[in-house]
Amino acid sequence: MAKTAIRIENVRRVYSSRKGFLFQEKVESEALKGVDLTVDEGEIFGLLGPNGAGKTTLVKILATLLLPTSGKASVLGYDVATQARELRPHIGLVLGGERGLYNRISARENLRYFADLYGLPVADRERRVEEVLRKVGLSGEETRRVEEYSRGMKQKLHLARGLLHSPKLLFLDEPTIGLDPKSAREMRKLIRGLVDEGVTIFLTTHYMFEAEELCQRVAVLSKGRIVARDTVAGLKRLVGGDRTIEIESYGLDGPEVARLKALPGVSHLTSEDFGPRERVTLRVRGNDLTHDLLTAALPGHRDLSVRERPTSLEDVYLDLVEEAPE
Amino acid sequence: MSAPVLRPSFGRTMFASLRLSLHMFLADPQWVIPSTIAPVMFALAAFEIYRGSGPLLILYAVLGAGMMSMWGQTIYGSGWAIWQDREFGTLEPTLGSPSSYLGVIGGRVIWNALSGLLGGAIVVLVVGVAYGQPLPFQAPIVFGLLFAFVILSLAAVGLVLASIFVYTRYAGFIQNVGEFAFYIGTGAMFPVILLPFWVTPFSLVFPPTWVIDALRYASIPGYHGFAWGFTGDIVGAVVTTALYVGIAASVFRRVERHVLEVGNLDEY
Repeated sequence: MAKTAIRIENVRRVYSSRKGFLFQEKVESEALKGVDLTVDEGEIFGLLGPNGAGKTTLVKILATLLLPTSGKASVLGYDVATQARELRPHIGLVLGGERGLYNRISARENLRYFADLYGLPVADRERRVEEVLRKVGLSGEETRRVEEYSRGMKQKLHLARGLLHSPKLLFLDEPTIGLDPKSAREMRKLIRGLVDEGVTIFLTTHYMFEAEELCQRVAVLSKGRIVARDTVAGLKRLVGGDRTIEIESYGLDGPEVARLKALPGVSHLTSEDFGPRERVTLRVRGNDLTHDLLTAALPGHRDLSVRERPTSLEDVYLDLVEEAPE
Repeated sequence: MSAPVLRPSFGRTMFASLRLSLHMFLADPQWVIPSTIAPVMFALAAFEIYRGSGPLLILYAVLGAGMMSMWGQTIYGSGWAIWQDREFGTLEPTLGSPSSYLGVIGGRVIWNALSGLLGGAIVVLVVGVAYGQPLPFQAPIVFGLLFAFVILSLAAVGLVLASIFVYTRYAGFIQNVGEFAFYIGTGAMFPVILLPFWVTPFSLVFPPTWVIDALRYASIPGYHGFAWGFTGDIVGAVVTTALYVGIAASVFRRVERHVLEVGNLDEY
């Protein structure tokens, strides 16, 4: 049985701020509303969620950059609130983005500085810097100032810094956001390679294909709560149905939508305006629901458009996020 | 892939931070102005104002201009370095490393102290050249030693100020508002003894007040500063400097805890 790398128990995080000038009013927002989660050693665990769901807040708590308001979290057996100093040498954090690097100096100088902060032996420092630069594909670019780097190169440099001290566990916060498809693919390849080397990875993303491609298990965080956690296949079963049928037509009314929901195998239904037409999306279990049954449920719709495709993680994700309680 | 656990020493962290500051300095031409050109301008302006007033006032000019340029580099630079970490978004990865952030701040402050020392030395040199003959210091060696001590005392204030910059992104406001009060209140521009009596207790809170007064005692013949004289100044300077370093060290743990509670490390 795999050892637990991350254990999160009922973690809440409340941010406080003040509004107004002379008569200030305290404003509180609850970013995490009691999160429970475990991650095994050696896996790539994906945390999915829309913007503002609390993903980065959770990552920062686990990486000891933020304290939980209540609850407990431990990483590699260390309590993130009371044993941060002991934990930090074992973990790496890649927040990514344009910030977080010293832009006016070279990539190599950035890495040397952080190698020193992580206490890499001076004799090994240069070798290790070269090694991580090579690993992320920045060899030959290391003497250029970071401000001259493209977004993708900066992202690679963030990853190189996260790897410098050979962490046992790496937090990657939306590692491919803003990258072109080629760079994103290279980044995912790199991430898979790290797992082969025994690194546990906790990844946040809102790219479903990325989670589907990389992660053994995923959790969906919405409005500060974990609304589902399972393998990708397990989540699809949870939402109900490996088939997704999209129906578009003009003037689909309430009773017709209700008839669709009552059809055999339909576990979930969403309805939305789609330009001048309506679109109804069905998640369907099994093969009982046929095209004939569908058209029979909507008599008089000559313009009916029916498309079927396998249910994707994105479908599951959207269902879960839309249904998440406040 | 995992290697043995590594922990950096405090000294190595300080040195790494010092080296980073040097690289940042060399990479950014705007820093050359306050550290080299501004002291030349301060020195020439002070010399022109006092050139016909005799050698003693020339010494006042040297000290005033020197202090101003050293303040700018040492204290202002220390706060600015932390503000830059906020702006660049590097405060988070730095605090997230196993290094002591106090060591990081220490390195920045030492760099700023060294460049402040350079500024002070430039002032002495430029006024010396403009004066055309050796400056009439009473005790040049003591002057040199105290000059370095001024830097230490400024660095101690810089350390506390840098902690405030970690604490809040609005620290720049405190620094800007306090800048001229500090110039005047510590006697950098002219002796504190010339200010209203009620200013003195506030001035004595700052280590540079004591060292600057000692520096004037050591270099200007016939100088009348604080009643306790040179020795009292030195004792006061040592005590207040140590106090500031102690405050910075003890406050810093609490500051670090506070910023992790508030979660404002990425704000600038």
